Amino acid sequence: MNTILAIIKKEFRRFFCDRRMIFTTLLMPGLLIYVVYTAMGAITQSVAEQSPTPVVYVQNMPESLASALESALDVREQTVSDNEAKERIAGGEIDALIIFPENFDDLTVGTDVPEVSIYYNSTETSSATAYSTVSAILQSYEQSIANVFNVNAQQGEIYDLADSRSASMYVLSTVVPMVLIMLMLSGCIAVVLESIAGEKERGTIATLLVTPIKRSHLAIGKILSLSVIAVLSGISSFLGLILSLPNLMSGTGVEFSLAAYGALDYLGLFLVVISTVLVFVSLLAIVSAYAKSTKEANGLIAPVMILAMVCTLCSMFITSPSVGFFFIPVLNSSLCIAALMAGTFVVVPFVITMCVNIVCAALLSVLLGVMFNSEKIMFNR
Amino acid sequence: MQENEILRVEHLTKTFKLPLKQQKLEGGVKIKTAVDDLSFSSFKGEIFGLLGPNGAGKTTTLRILATLIKPDSGDAFIDGVSAVNNPYGVRGKIGFLTSELRLEDFFTPDYLFDFFSELHGVPHDLRNERKRSLFARFGIDKFAEVKLANLSTGMKQKVSIVISIVHDPDFIIFDEPTNGLDVLTAKTVTDYLSELRADGKSIILSTHIFSLAEKLCDRVGVIIDGKLAALDTLSALTAEKNLEDKFFDLYSQAKGERA
Repeated sequence: MNTILAIIKKEFRRFFCDRRMIFTTLLMPGLLIYVVYTAMGAITQSVAEQSPTPVVYVQNMPESLASALESALDVREQTVSDNEAKERIAGGEIDALIIFPENFDDLTVGTDVPEVSIYYNSTETSSATAYSTVSAILQSYEQSIANVFNVNAQQGEIYDLADSRSASMYVLSTVVPMVLIMLMLSGCIAVVLESIAGEKERGTIATLLVTPIKRSHLAIGKILSLSVIAVLSGISSFLGLILSLPNLMSGTGVEFSLAAYGALDYLGLFLVVISTVLVFVSLLAIVSAYAKSTKEANGLIAPVMILAMVCTLCSMFITSPSVGFFFIPVLNSSLCIAALMAGTFVVVPFVITMCVNIVCAALLSVLLGVMFNSEKIMFNR
Repeated sequence: MQENEILRVEHLTKTFKLPLKQQKLEGGVKIKTAVDDLSFSSFKGEIFGLLGPNGAGKTTTLRILATLIKPDSGDAFIDGVSAVNNPYGVRGKIGFLTSELRLEDFFTPDYLFDFFSELHGVPHDLRNERKRSLFARFGIDKFAEVKLANLSTGMKQKVSIVISIVHDPDFIIFDEPTNGLDVLTAKTVTDYLSELRADGKSIILSTHIFSLAEKLCDRVGVIIDGKLAALDTLSALTAEKNLEDKFFDLYSQAKGERA
């Protein structure tokens, strides 16, 4: 026990007494995510605010549509010929030319089918907006004259019963698992490679191996201490993400309320994070111990990263997972996080996930101990 | 087993697989024998020198004694404990110093001393007393709180020596302890080895420096191509000529036999 503690204390001292390490592993990830996401939100919002009302020419404006069109678009008087107007649309000066047949309103009552032409330029954003706006107005008008039945036509009635709480929960349940798992993984990579492959490369781990400490103690001490550091790094990234989400989504109209989650949800999330970090740290420790140098370890972790990414992507598409999925490490964590964020938490899969992850980490740390004992792995250069 | 025997090496053999390209260079030879059926003993309170050219198998032998690697066959017993069957038992009894074992540059000598004492299970009061006397003996006390990265090569080596004996082992294995050191630092080290012997410690050291062996060792084993070419007391080996000339004789004899 004492030797495990000594190893843990040493790893903490190595990390927490090094200002650069603290900055690059704990402060920078969260700060970077916050700044980048907030900046992205600010940009999308300013783009949304700046987009001007499309400028259009309308020929033979029908009375029935005048108010709808004029409120949505900047209708100007056409002072040039049709061909010149079309050139202006192609050139981006004007956004659309809408030509109604004369006496459009009369025609719609009769049996003739009047034709409306909308000239636009799909490569110009505001022109495309003009086209879709006009099409939508016309379609709804067409439906209203040939009215067979109405859908959701009652004014003042709220049909979408989702409140802003569950809307934000839905967004979080799709975004958070992927981002959180990848952030945890990158936090683990940062600390594990340095501490195991780095120590092996520099020959400092061999110095520990000639002392009478048990290899398993060295493995456990390393995995536990590195997991704590990786969790802290993960928390930093997570805070950066959560705090910046309202800023990022400010242009989309989705209200974020983290208060939607209770203490139990956060506790569940925290436990999933810890168990996942244990799996990642022990897995990366194995890869690092196997590698001859930090550089080689960096190359060898590529498959681990890809597998983790595949797992998180899968969890996006598996909407109602069967229990079997929770026996696959990383995928189970991803599914659990999604369920927690969506507010559809179920106990049994959660318990399976915790058990599978902890057993997995324990087996991997036993393997790490065996590797520390192997001269082929530790001393072969 | 003789009464005061502390180390007994029995038919130690260690081979390495050659890389493919090297196999071609050596005409299809797949395996290199680093240590070839080596047997010798050393006794309590003596400095035993393992002497030989670069690549003779000295470091490999010492690494087996320190339980970092296992022999293909044979065994080494340190104070009766088998390096093959009970490596944990051996690790607690030995101090091992070699250039491949490094200390983390980030830490200070003071911290490293405490850390390794803890790994060896040394009680705190004993540790502090040892730290005081060893740091004073090597002049580390003035640099006790300086990170290793900022120490000179000589000071680093002194720290390595001190760290290798935090647990006051009775059997000490030093691999080329004076390599890369200036004469002053080297003298501090050799003087200290003599002091350890005077305290009743047993030491095995490897070196390719004949003057060092002549000055320090009580008995010497000359190792050439992994085999023991001679094993005797220093006085017997140097009865007719100095150690260097004796070594050349042994070397040409060994090479001649093999040719």
